[in-house]
Amino acid sequence: MNVELRDIHKIFAAVHANNGINLKIPAGVIQGILGENGAGKSTLMKILSGFYQPSQGQILLDDKPVIIRSPADATRQGVGMLHQDPLDFPSMRVIDNFLIGHPGELIPDRGQAAAQLEAIQQKLGFSLRPEAHVDTLTVGERQQLEILRLLWLGVRVLILDEPTTGISALQKEKLFAALRLLAQEGKTIIFVSHKLEDVEVLCHKVAVLRQGRLIGEMLPPFNITRLVEMMFEKVITLGNRRSCCRGEISFRLNALELEDARLHIPGVSLEVQGGEVIGLAGMEGSGQALFLRACAGLVRAVGGHISINEHDLTGKPYHTYLEHGIAYLPAARLEEGLAPGMTLTEHFLLAGEARGFNIDWEQGRKVAQERIADFNIRGTPASPIEALSGGNQQRALLALLKHPLNLILLEHPTRGLDIESSIYIWDKLKERCAEGAVILFISSDLEELLQYSDRLLVFFSGEVSSPLDAERTTVEHLGQFIGGKGWAA
Amino acid sequence: MKNLRWNNFLFQLVAFLLALAFTSLIMVFAGAPPISAYVEILGGAFGSVNSLANVVVVWMPLLLVTSGLLITFTAGLWNIGIEGQITLGAIFTTAALRLLQESSLPPWLIILLAMLAGVAGGALWAVMAGLLKTFGGVNEIFGGLGLNFVATALTLWLIFGPWKRPGTGSMSGTEPFPDTLWLPQLPGLRLSPWSVIFGAAAIYLVYRLLSGTYFGLRLKAIGKNVRAAFLLGVPAWQHSLLAFALCGFFAGLAGALQVTAVYHRLIPSISSGYGFLGLLVAMLVNYQALWAAPVALFFAALNIGSIQLPIMLNLDSSLSGVLQGMLVLFVLLTEGARKRWLQKNG
Amino acid sequence: MSRKTLWILVSLLLVVAMLGAACQQKKAAGPITFGMLLVGPYNDHGWSQAHYDAGKYVETKLAGSKMIYVDKVNPADRPGTTPAQLAEELVAKGATLVVFNSDDMKDSATEFSKAHPDIKVIMASGDQVWKEGKAYVELPNMINIMGRMEYGKMVAGCAAALTSQTGKIGYLGPLINDETRRLTASAYLGAKYCWTKYLGKDAAALSFKVTWIGFWFNIPGVTSDPTQVADDFFNSGYDVVISGIDTTEAVAEAKKLSAAGQKVWAIPYDYVGSCEEGKEICLGVPYFNWGPAYVKTITSAADGSWKSNWQWNAPDWKDINNLDTSAVGFKKGNALSADAASKVDEFIKELAGGLNLWKGPINLQDGSAYLKDGEVGTDQQVWYLPQLLQGMEGQSVPSK
Repeated sequence: MNVELRDIHKIFAAVHANNGINLKIPAGVIQGILGENGAGKSTLMKILSGFYQPSQGQILLDDKPVIIRSPADATRQGVGMLHQDPLDFPSMRVIDNFLIGHPGELIPDRGQAAAQLEAIQQKLGFSLRPEAHVDTLTVGERQQLEILRLLWLGVRVLILDEPTTGISALQKEKLFAALRLLAQEGKTIIFVSHKLEDVEVLCHKVAVLRQGRLIGEMLPPFNITRLVEMMFEKVITLGNRRSCCRGEISFRLNALELEDARLHIPGVSLEVQGGEVIGLAGMEGSGQALFLRACAGLVRAVGGHISINEHDLTGKPYHTYLEHGIAYLPAARLEEGLAPGMTLTEHFLLAGEARGFNIDWEQGRKVAQERIADFNIRGTPASPIEALSGGNQQRALLALLKHPLNLILLEHPTRGLDIESSIYIWDKLKERCAEGAVILFISSDLEELLQYSDRLLVFFSGEVSSPLDAERTTVEHLGQFIGGKGWAA
Repeated sequence: MKNLRWNNFLFQLVAFLLALAFTSLIMVFAGAPPISAYVEILGGAFGSVNSLANVVVVWMPLLLVTSGLLITFTAGLWNIGIEGQITLGAIFTTAALRLLQESSLPPWLIILLAMLAGVAGGALWAVMAGLLKTFGGVNEIFGGLGLNFVATALTLWLIFGPWKRPGTGSMSGTEPFPDTLWLPQLPGLRLSPWSVIFGAAAIYLVYRLLSGTYFGLRLKAIGKNVRAAFLLGVPAWQHSLLAFALCGFFAGLAGALQVTAVYHRLIPSISSGYGFLGLLVAMLVNYQALWAAPVALFFAALNIGSIQLPIMLNLDSSLSGVLQGMLVLFVLLTEGARKRWLQKNG
Repeated sequence: MSRKTLWILVSLLLVVAMLGAACQQKKAAGPITFGMLLVGPYNDHGWSQAHYDAGKYVETKLAGSKMIYVDKVNPADRPGTTPAQLAEELVAKGATLVVFNSDDMKDSATEFSKAHPDIKVIMASGDQVWKEGKAYVELPNMINIMGRMEYGKMVAGCAAALTSQTGKIGYLGPLINDETRRLTASAYLGAKYCWTKYLGKDAAALSFKVTWIGFWFNIPGVTSDPTQVADDFFNSGYDVVISGIDTTEAVAEAKKLSAAGQKVWAIPYDYVGSCEEGKEICLGVPYFNWGPAYVKTITSAADGSWKSNWQWNAPDWKDINNLDTSAVGFKKGNALSADAASKVDEFIKELAGGLNLWKGPINLQDGSAYLKDGEVGTDQQVWYLPQLLQGMEGQSVPSK
């Protein structure tokens, strides 16, 4: 199906999220949409898939102007969108999720549906068990389920928003193969991402958005440097590795033993120097999150000791950890880190030291304004936190950190962020290291782990490696280690 | 931002008009003239100094209760136990008055001690709901409902048992207190200026507390995202308990006023349903302190004004209840509609 | 005497008569608006409706008089209000006389009378302005009115005793106070008299039990449920239930059980028409007829002859069911057998002839003597009965 967007505008209260976008996507093409966070990619796609109505402009499908009233309407007209977070029902079975949203009989024919599911699966090379419960699936498998469902509903335009976040390399390969196949069949694929390498290998054509405008399009072979320029207006390179280790031990773990319902982590001993960065690597759920939370005082250890600057914190409440300059930044920003419904100013006031009983709002706004400028947050002191883009929320979280800190614990500090934001965030973190703070962070991005860590701990189903020197570790070695290879018996 | 506020106001207005229209429709079906009914209600509420004073008699405890509820709502707590907290306030006040009325203390001191006892009673009952939630894992809605039940049972037992009037066994109430133990009233009116002072002070304090203090900000954070608030260093359950206690404080004061300024004794329905009415008010004002006073006034006026319906039009005064219910329903409905509208067109 | 003088005399007489008539008419015609506070719904087929109907009766008897009322005057139905406050609403609407119809409003009525000396107050069932009473307060603007329902209750008790096959009579009591104690006791005295006198049975074989619900009518969650209480009576061998509450749950429950084949009967209270709810099981109803007393009292308020007093009005013994003269009556029900009916009539005749059941020896529930042998109870002794009587089962809450 040919898709054409004509002069699309979308204005939210103060933000011009889409500003006169014109884009033609012929059938059978995999169209990449690039742009940093907040560039307007998601908004544009939500307009095409019926979540939003454009403030102005026209959508044409197969050269006929259409109005798409709702996501369901979009599916009826052949447009389906795969969201960043899968919109499924975790407690239900694969087959039931598959059936949901299918128009037709009151009592669906599950047998027939299962057969059809199987047929599409085979073609695309997926292998989901129809009777499996969705909550037992990985993110990648849930994505596959959603694609199957949309195809079964008859969509001819498939929109994917950041589909490669959180899935394994193998699943990515499968996904890309499936998408290429669908394109050959004449389906239109729209691939939204900020990952240049993904776009490079997959797309037939790339459009770059910046600040709500369409900056330009490019056909292969892609000039990556040029694309980055289009995205950011300037050329960005990863900073040089630098270490701020100070020599004296600041954070100490002594045979720390942890346990939760699934995992048992036997004694971890670790001595960390002030200013050192420790990367925690491992497949999701290998114990690194539990470990990080234990360091934050959120999980009580079953054995061993934690101390910071020679203060024993073992068994102390979270509050004591805070008092000793330990900060924890969770991965789920809006669920755990920030309070949706509150403004930036309110967040800064909340995280800062209370000055007396009454709030000086004038002062609060001033501080917020300073931090916003300081951390380059796109927003105003009165912006509700949920109105910010992911990258800006992450910056806000960093801006909330107190001064000084002894230990900063981060889960996926740059997940979902574009390169520029990632570099920025690490610059800010390195400043903290220079002041003597220890950083422990979890990441699934091997490049990030190697680039920013001094040492690495690898987790594999509760086992913890001895610290690796990041400078002498390669991506390949680390990848194998994470996958369970090379562990001494 | 300004547009948004106007927009909000417009939706509320539509809700109000719809509620009015539907109530009128019901009246027409019941064979009653809607216009004259509304005129009677208005006249009954604001027609004379006396009726105005009676409206204020209802308004002030309602405002106290609403003030308390704004605190718990801000902290994300559904303090359904508010009825019981008012009742306990009344019980404690009555107990203190009974205990001290024979003593040689000056009456003003007895009243003061009794009201302090009432406040303590309300706070105690609220903290119980809070403890049940924090340490017992009982959702505050269920805990509150249970505690309401216990409070009612306690009142009935006291009235029919230990506190019954000599020679009498009746659910109608305990022996009235002598008028020396009444809160002083304005001459010729049933209104005590103290109620007004307490009510006004309560809503002002709560407004200040929620909009201008770190404590209020922390409560808001807990209400918006308790996990994030905790991670940012807000002692979450301690603040929840404190929110409960403060709400119970105001509810207990309302109960104390019901005894010392309105009924002068303990009766089974001493809370007059102000707890649930307060929940409605708090919901209608979208948990913003600024609008609580006028909306509570509106409900109080409806309550008093509707007495005219049976007198003048032979109508059942529960029609005002219909209007109240409609109002809440439509405000909630339009709020939902507004959110959808914002999402589409924001 | 000349014709002329005669004519002059006749004219003078005429003028005087006309003047008198004119004056009287002027007084009586002064349109009076009276307010009524009804504790229950105006159509409760009980206490409140008896008052409401009496108000309507006054309107027909006193030209230009008009009733305004508020019903359901109790804190459960009208939260946040007091009777005194509602009385003021009636005054604001033009009432110059207010009837407080329930014992529950006693304190409020006193408070209101003190605060509004210019407004006349009728406090039904009260004793505040009974000089010889225990609770006397000087309130020139108040009159207490009560009917001598003791007779009605005696007749009810008699009808119950004559009908009961098990010899077990249940009494569905409201709350406990002087009034309800004496009425319940009267029903017992009537029952015992007819049980022994007309049926010749042993007094000890008659059981008479009172269960109090806590108020004049059902307030869900506050009082005991009268339907439940009546049901418990019927299901534990009590085949006649005499109601002492303002509403008709006992009749409804008896009707239901009777339809299911149980042999049970009920006697409602207060309102002349309350047998209508279940004619087939209703033995009759002792009722109040407030109309005549209200006409008299409201007239006195209009013509200036008002004087504070306490009235305890007896039935008109010539015909206790004469609605223009008798303060209290007993209307026999369809379920009363012809034989029992004739005995009830005989009992009423005996009462009219001077039979007094409040005559010693009468012992209180705790066994102590209240009236010595041959001693006739005074009004005070009857009104302020401190306990139930010996032979009755149920809570007394003794008053000292």
